[in-house]
Amino acid sequence: MKRYLRHPFWQSGLVLIAAYLVVTLGIAYLPPILGIASAPVPGSVVLQYMATVLVGILLYVSSDEDRWREFKEPVEVMLTSPDKRYVRSALLVAIPALIGVLTFFQVRPTVAAPPNLRSIHPAPPSQISFRGQPIVLDRLENPLRHEGDLNEHLAVGRRTYYQNCVACHGDALDGNGHFADAFSPRPLEFGTSTIAQLTESFVFWRIAKGGVGLPREGAPWNSAMPAWEDVLTEDEIWSVSIFLYDQAGVSPRTWEAE
Amino acid sequence: MLATNLKILSVVLGTILFYTYLAGSIPQVESEVPAELDLSANVTAEELVAAGEELYAGGGGCLACHGTGTRAPNLLEPDGATGLIGERCGQRVEGMVCKEYLHASLIRPTDFVVPGFDPIMPDMSRTLSESQVWTLVAYLESLGGEVTVSSEDLAASAADPAGGATAGSAAPASTTMEPMALLEENQCLVCHQLGDQGAPIGPPFTDVGARRDVDFIRSKVLDPASVQPAEGYEALAGTMPTTFGTQLSAAQLEVIVQFLAEQR
Amino acid sequence: MTFRRIGRGSLRLLLATLFVAPFLTDVLLAQEAVGAVREYGDFPVIGARGAVWIAAQVHLLFAAFVLGVPMFAIGAEAIGIFKKDTRYDRLAKEFTRLLVIAYSATAIWGAVLVFFLTTLYPAFWGHLASIFEVSMWFYVGLFFFESFTLYLYYYGWDRWKLGRAKLGHWGLGILLNIWGTAVMLIANSWLSYMMSPPAEMTPDTAPEMVQFWSAFANATWMPINIHRIIANVVFGGAIVAAYAAYRFLLAKSDEERAHYDWMGYVGNLIAIGALIVLPFAGYYLGREIYEYNQQMGITMMGGFMSWLWIIQAVLIGVLFLAGNYYLWVGMGRIPGAERFTPYIKYMLVVLVIGVIVWATPHTMIADRDELAAMGGTHHPFLGALGVMSAKNTAVNLMILTTFLSFLLYRRANLRPTIAWARSGTIVQGLLFAMAAAVVLFFGIYGYFVTAIVRIGFSVYQVLAVLTAIVGVVVLDVFMARGAESRGEIRWGQMPARSQYALFVLVVTFTWLMGLMGFARSGIRQHWHVWEVMRDTSPWAATPALGPAAQMISVCVLIFLVLIAFIFWLGGLIEKPQLVVRLRPDDPRVGERDPAVHGSELDFLPAD
Repeated sequence: MKRYLRHPFWQSGLVLIAAYLVVTLGIAYLPPILGIASAPVPGSVVLQYMATVLVGILLYVSSDEDRWREFKEPVEVMLTSPDKRYVRSALLVAIPALIGVLTFFQVRPTVAAPPNLRSIHPAPPSQISFRGQPIVLDRLENPLRHEGDLNEHLAVGRRTYYQNCVACHGDALDGNGHFADAFSPRPLEFGTSTIAQLTESFVFWRIAKGGVGLPREGAPWNSAMPAWEDVLTEDEIWSVSIFLYDQAGVSPRTWEAE
Repeated sequence: MLATNLKILSVVLGTILFYTYLAGSIPQVESEVPAELDLSANVTAEELVAAGEELYAGGGGCLACHGTGTRAPNLLEPDGATGLIGERCGQRVEGMVCKEYLHASLIRPTDFVVPGFDPIMPDMSRTLSESQVWTLVAYLESLGGEVTVSSEDLAASAADPAGGATAGSAAPASTTMEPMALLEENQCLVCHQLGDQGAPIGPPFTDVGARRDVDFIRSKVLDPASVQPAEGYEALAGTMPTTFGTQLSAAQLEVIVQFLAEQR
Repeated sequence: MTFRRIGRGSLRLLLATLFVAPFLTDVLLAQEAVGAVREYGDFPVIGARGAVWIAAQVHLLFAAFVLGVPMFAIGAEAIGIFKKDTRYDRLAKEFTRLLVIAYSATAIWGAVLVFFLTTLYPAFWGHLASIFEVSMWFYVGLFFFESFTLYLYYYGWDRWKLGRAKLGHWGLGILLNIWGTAVMLIANSWLSYMMSPPAEMTPDTAPEMVQFWSAFANATWMPINIHRIIANVVFGGAIVAAYAAYRFLLAKSDEERAHYDWMGYVGNLIAIGALIVLPFAGYYLGREIYEYNQQMGITMMGGFMSWLWIIQAVLIGVLFLAGNYYLWVGMGRIPGAERFTPYIKYMLVVLVIGVIVWATPHTMIADRDELAAMGGTHHPFLGALGVMSAKNTAVNLMILTTFLSFLLYRRANLRPTIAWARSGTIVQGLLFAMAAAVVLFFGIYGYFVTAIVRIGFSVYQVLAVLTAIVGVVVLDVFMARGAESRGEIRWGQMPARSQYALFVLVVTFTWLMGLMGFARSGIRQHWHVWEVMRDTSPWAATPALGPAAQMISVCVLIFLVLIAFIFWLGGLIEKPQLVVRLRPDDPRVGERDPAVHGSELDFLPAD
């Protein structure tokens, strides 16, 4: 037993299994113990991680001449030694069979929709048409931040939000409105992580043009967000944006000075 | 020697194939050329016609009247001896060529009402951009006639740069909350009478609050076919446009509904 | 009489032709200009875009090679001159020989590119030419100077090999580099103009009205220059290493093996060394692109190109792993390296975790059930690894680890004799620990601040890493003074698999250049010149990553086949002269030994 534990071949196998357990079970179930949200890792990412670990292991065992020879030894013994005849035959059947089974599951027709890639923050156009009027988004800032009374804009924004947005995005702006469970993807929450990365012009574009106005990589057919330019005025959208940033307690990403 | 060369070759090819496979294994997103029509540039007749056709059947809402039923001239089929709209448009008004006539009909519809029809058509320049109107003219010309609309027409009418054919929904023209202004804007008074204003085509607004409740009025405005036509107006069923739901904001709709319900 | 009449008639005709024809041709030309401006040509099978793509990419790969290798050559020549180590001089010459052949290949592909552009994209080429005509003439002129300096440099090698003449020869090498860099700067201005034309330009701006300098020194010109110069060094080093690996694997004698083993080591050292600073230049370029136009920036990082960065992360991961692996395997031939081999596994763990973090996608590919479990395409826990803070931290730690590998490799066979060796090592260790701590601190702190502040953090991380690298190197130079050797490096005793790592390196570098080239020009999307000249050809849509990768692979294959041919050709011209290292007491010192490929036997002090 100890002999096996010291052998690089079996060590590698153990490391591989341990890594697999960490990736599949560890990431999914350990953080929740500490109160951090987590979820099972998608198959594509598991594959990617395991491939990286496997490459790392192979690099390690082959980086030293002696270790590499030792590592290859069980493989050679298995392939050549006469007293391993039955193991060899079993493997010769088992490995192709395994590949066959994997291939079967790969090509088997399923009813699941193919995974699609949805870009959460697709590139905005430089210019949009807002109710027929062109608005240049590039370097655009919220005009209401420089004019009028900010508290008044906040009040308008709050009213607009609670009249229009609350059903999906929720009372607490956490994306848990009454309709939220009906949608996939779920409505966005306005925490620090999302809108703080964005310029206000981006937020304006998303509110004005909604899901249908998303470019292709944003998978417009997936988003239920209406195009609010048909309902809200320009100033109302800007006010909502002020309200959102105020509630999230962050300031929008700014344009760097020229 | 050969074995080494083959090994090197397989390492090199293997690496390249791996990267190619990797890039091919992820979901493929192609950056498409946006379908927006660049109307300021040298736009071709075909592009104008295609955009106009899309608008005619879609966001422009033309099909609601012109194409089915009898409430407005059918522009998609030949009209007796005068032929398709592209053929007959030049003969409709003395001194006006096809292009001018169609354009004028779109932005001043009540000037040239075809005999036998009611003046119910709204001014299209309120919901469409100038360049969109020209795409419609081009499309109509193409039905049996020759397209004469060109980029000069668009430039002359100071096309707005972003007003492509993509503007699908008719955005509300304004944000006013004044009931009378809303009735005026949405052309309600073209068919309905309120006091001494408006035309007596549909049921009058004057005492509508006494006859109908709030819910009925709201349903009627949003989806005219959902409720029974008023007595004596059955012949006009289906005449009322179905576009108010997209034309009005929710708040505007409520203003109109409440205003009408108060007309007793 | 008849004769006269004919004569007079033909004279009149001749006069008429002479006087009228110029006007006639003018009229004809003018008519043609009005009537038949063809915007795009077509190319069989692969289309105009495919043809230009291949021509541009292969030209660019050759150009990077002929710009990178001279930098490498003058560096090696300088070491040869100042350290009196003739191995380096021969190395430089061996590569300049390949350069002469590769140079004409570069010019041929450049011509192919220009002809493809003029025939397939005439309208676009006309636009570019009307703005950049003057710089295009200069470009051609510089080419002329560059070629002749190269010929002088190569053919004068043996003539000016001693004393002051040698320094003059080295000066020629520097001049060659200046011409080459100037040529590149001019060409860079054309392509960076396509990305970032002067902001005041609109589609209606007549090209003649554009100020030349505002188009030339545009927003992304300088970042691209810096990025490309460094990348050329990396590429040159990688190609040198692959050439050496090829020769090593096919070597017949131990001397040959020793020489090419050493050459591969030098090439790899330069490639990985320059690679370490490349990400910083890349950040600068990306930042300027973002600054110039937000849409372009988001298209690049978050839009339809976002997955390209996952592929790029995999490739860079391969580079780091392969580069380190080569060093670790190489420790097997250094006496005294056994002291350090136990650390390899820890460095490997850092690198593997770094690659994993760097290649973790922010938006994950998942099927419906997995999406439901995650509550979206962002993993609630791993999503934290998908953002900039985590990636910056990972790459900085990987750079630091790679540098540590180098340091251990360098120190493996030395036994310092100075008194403060121990405390020096401790200070070096502290520098490493501090850099790692700073990188980790800002990496974690980055999650708690706004984006604009977070971007600033990457600068601190980079500075910490660079400070540690510079400090450690300076200390190390002093510590190595008068150090005893633990035994000579056994050049040539290298397992074959290490050489295959060098091939993987060069293929990865080449492919990466193709990929990044696609990213850079792909973010223009359907514009020839961003928001100035629209691409209205049938190939305006930017392809998805899969088809693009196939094009890149085709370009890489063409380049590698041609460069392999050039290497083979270089071998035909003359057998490489080897310097066989002998012990000082060897009786053969100073002799010429025809048995060893006619090479010169030379004694070199162990360094």
